[in-house]
Amino acid sequence: MRTELNLIGKPVSRHDAWAKAKGDQLFSDDWSMPGMLFGKVLRSKYPAAVLKRIDTKKAEELPGVKAVLTAKDVPVNEDVTKFGQMRDVGGGFEGLYRVLASGRIRSKSEAIALVAAESPETAEEALKLIEVDYEVLEGVFDPREALKEGAYSVTGDGCGNVIMRTKICDGNIEEAFKKCDVIVENDYETTPNEHAYLETEGGMGWIDENGVITLRVGTQVLEHYRTIAKVLGLPHNKVRNIGVPVGGGFGGKEDITVEMYIALLVQKTGRPVKMVWSREESIESHSKRHPEYLHYKTGATKDGKILAQEVSIVMDGGSYTYLTPWVQMYSTFAAPGCYKIPNVSVKSVSAFTNNTFNSANRGFGAPQVNFASERQMDEIAARLNLDPVELRRRNVLHDGDRLPSGHVPRGHIALKELLDKVNKELNRSSKPDRLPDGRKVGRALALGHMVYGRLNFLHDSSRVSIRLELDGSVTLRAGVPDLGGGQASVLAQIVAEELGLEIEDVHPYIMDTHLTPLCGTTTATRQLYMSGNAALKAAVQMKEKILEKASALSGCPVNMLALKNRKVYSVIEPETISIPFVDVIKHLSNDGEVLENIAQFNAPFTEVPDLNDIKGELNPDITYTCHGVELAVDEQTGKIELLRVIAAADAGRVINRNSCEGQLEGGCVYHAWWPTMEDLKQENGITMANSFSTYLIPTAADVPDIESILIESGGGLGPYGAKGIGEPADNSIAPAVVNAIRDAIGVGFNKMTVTPEKILNAVLSFKNKE
Amino acid sequence: MNTMIIEQEFEYVKPGSLFEALDILAQTNNVKIYAGGTDLIVKLKTSGINMDAMMDINGIPELSELTASGGNGLVIGSAVKLSRIEKHPAVKSNYSALFEALMSMASVSVRNMGTLGGNLANASPAADTAGPVICYKGILELMSRSGIREVPAEDFFISSGVSAIRPDELLTRIKLPAVNKNTGAKFIKTGRVKSDIAKVSFTVVIEREGSKIKSCRAAAGSAAAKPVYLRTVSESLKGRIMTRELITETVDRIAGIIEPIDDQRTTAEYRKELIKVIAADAFSKAWSLSGGKLI
Repeated sequence: MRTELNLIGKPVSRHDAWAKAKGDQLFSDDWSMPGMLFGKVLRSKYPAAVLKRIDTKKAEELPGVKAVLTAKDVPVNEDVTKFGQMRDVGGGFEGLYRVLASGRIRSKSEAIALVAAESPETAEEALKLIEVDYEVLEGVFDPREALKEGAYSVTGDGCGNVIMRTKICDGNIEEAFKKCDVIVENDYETTPNEHAYLETEGGMGWIDENGVITLRVGTQVLEHYRTIAKVLGLPHNKVRNIGVPVGGGFGGKEDITVEMYIALLVQKTGRPVKMVWSREESIESHSKRHPEYLHYKTGATKDGKILAQEVSIVMDGGSYTYLTPWVQMYSTFAAPGCYKIPNVSVKSVSAFTNNTFNSANRGFGAPQVNFASERQMDEIAARLNLDPVELRRRNVLHDGDRLPSGHVPRGHIALKELLDKVNKELNRSSKPDRLPDGRKVGRALALGHMVYGRLNFLHDSSRVSIRLELDGSVTLRAGVPDLGGGQASVLAQIVAEELGLEIEDVHPYIMDTHLTPLCGTTTATRQLYMSGNAALKAAVQMKEKILEKASALSGCPVNMLALKNRKVYSVIEPETISIPFVDVIKHLSNDGEVLENIAQFNAPFTEVPDLNDIKGELNPDITYTCHGVELAVDEQTGKIELLRVIAAADAGRVINRNSCEGQLEGGCVYHAWWPTMEDLKQENGITMANSFSTYLIPTAADVPDIESILIESGGGLGPYGAKGIGEPADNSIAPAVVNAIRDAIGVGFNKMTVTPEKILNAVLSFKNKE
Repeated sequence: MNTMIIEQEFEYVKPGSLFEALDILAQTNNVKIYAGGTDLIVKLKTSGINMDAMMDINGIPELSELTASGGNGLVIGSAVKLSRIEKHPAVKSNYSALFEALMSMASVSVRNMGTLGGNLANASPAADTAGPVICYKGILELMSRSGIREVPAEDFFISSGVSAIRPDELLTRIKLPAVNKNTGAKFIKTGRVKSDIAKVSFTVVIEREGSKIKSCRAAAGSAAAKPVYLRTVSESLKGRIMTRELITETVDRIAGIIEPIDDQRTTAEYRKELIKVIAADAFSKAWSLSGGKLI
């Protein structure tokens, strides 16, 4: 019988909280082994070139060097890009994955050779001894240029630089524009940004006592072991990743990073090998968020009803396909915004360039279009002389509304509640025009919507196992990479809740490809939804068994029994009928019952849509957010200061309040400075800002208190009605910031990066015009 | 480049006395001084340094002393950590502009390592403490086997990365003379985030006599190839009655004098705009701290 929830929704301490707070937690770089070698990657000097010749002789002769590998030494150097899916999708989705460069080099920092040596210094020296002859080519660095007729061919196959084209259409856009009183057209540009995790990519590997290539590498996708096995020419059961808690991922550790190189060097040398990237190597070589060039044309009636929206998107995919087509699906899907618009056309195209490849970054294609569509709303409101909040109120999606693809979201749509709550909090006192020190004050908000759970046509699934121990504790096994978001702890919390235990009674063993059931990737804001449901299913099935046994022991019917405080008790006579949890386990064991249970949860399955006319449900459900910002703009210097940030989301159901608020706050910090400060300064394929002294991110000293508002509609598809929160948490903050700048000084910025220098120029020219 | 290791080979020495340190400097070529390492180690990793030996001065007792001197003056050993200086009560009360500069620097962890001596001897145009030390008439004591030189801070900086220190000399102490009463001071810096190197910084120390400026010293950071003492502007203000108009006129002059560059952090043009704003702010705040009223 379901009683009141004991742990769910509470601010529970995570199982690993103390270890992390005290610095006891071991991360990738903390592991070592006797006889360990140090691996290092030689990377291309040029963003566009042909690799003419590599001579590794001098490097191999350097004392202490144990292996130098180039493309010819890799058993299977080319495969298609996978990221943990259980199903081959094919089509244009899976591009070339090349381990080491051969032929045409597509970006600076592309891996050319690998070295393993007795010390990091020797490995570094060996890299300098590798002779590489390049034929430098012109390259192309802007996707709009790359799409032109006769543009430089990034792949060299002469088939143009298009990665993928997609389209979503609904209604009749041409006719609808004729009925509009105002039409607002703008170009938007978003910049690539760096994930900036604390821990750079790293890990180690060795051959274990059974001849298995064993890795201890932090990753978001344990399932890359399959690609590693293929590249090494081994069966899947001969490559194992034990995983380590990840010091931040944000999508940057979704693609293969060090694990392939380590595995190759271990296979070649037979020795343990460690590889950790420096901050500069990490920033220069891992993926970035896709820069997008967006054109929005929106038509509305004079009473503020949006009738039509036409969007075109050009995405920079960078040097290789990686996750570009998937990100593009998200951008295309989210482009119309949070509104019920009867006539919509979204066309998107992604292109290869010679920039660092672009791939997953928290939000996965949604933040770019969310920035543009929410900026667009404030521009329409200004044109109609209407309050931007009121314009949103008149157009937001409600339960039962159909999206342009024809899909009706399964979960609750809380946009109206979020809008009203944030608006009320933001304007709880009237806005001063200026602060006492003379700075102008701006206030604005923005809505956001982002899916959680993978694309349905990936046929996603997750498995979790629990084992009852004879002392009444529980061992939970789940192949869930924990990125610091509490992805593992939440599973223990769910199992503890269902079995009437405390969270410390459930110990999670996580992220081992061959000893824990595979949970799928920690990406797509899917772990709570997918693995949470699998854990819930495993626990509920086990609970039934426990209650049946307790019923037999007590004579009390099963539906009158409940689990709480480490006891099975009768809800009618809790004083007289109460059996310690551990005693029931002992009875189950004596009677030869299986004390272990693995359960699998499957997401909805659909087929790959027609990319020229996308219809139907792409993802299972959507999380909605709203961000409110109050900021000050110094008109003399162009400097902005965030004064207040309000972050609101419909979490469906909060599982761990600490973690959920942490995600909301982290999301704000992650993206509040994306439009105004973070700048990689990419120049012709070279990342100039490759360290934290040149690529600045805010520190705690820059961030104001963030006020969190969590709505719990119960309308999610996760356990207890939860929705995913990880990525949606960063989605609507960026447009809220830029909208607030517009509110303060009357100038709307559509192209990132909105620096103080640009704001000052805008203020000066705005004043001149007046 | 691999910033996880130091590739360069060098000798590391850690003298236990000033005598020993000066001997090493006299006898060894290409010695780099390690005080806090917050710049030196980064440079070693990123670009390498022409250096045969690294001399760690943290074992020399005199250089880690922070003492009050005549009146309310202060003598700061060159290896004293920035965080220790910022916590000294006399710094906050008597040298508020220096205190503000220290608090604006990097992060707590970097200030726990970095030193005042290092920040000055590194001779970066952006050195935050340079402006306050110049404006408080700081004297830098340079010692070698052949003797002691005392160099006024305003003459210490030659160009970016180059100071008045000779290869055989060691910066040993920074002496800040007593501050007269009716003095107000202000340091203002603008960065991209709170923990950043300055786009521009400005320091002013004003001594007031009634409604007149008795003396004034102003300096600008990240505004030229070195930290600059704005001598002519400072001297021209002597004896003037402080007014808003005077501030406006002065900051326009300053914007005309400085020679900033375009770099990673901002543009020369923006720096010229920015310095007018922060200098005007600094002048009016320093004047008010000196007890003066702005008319």
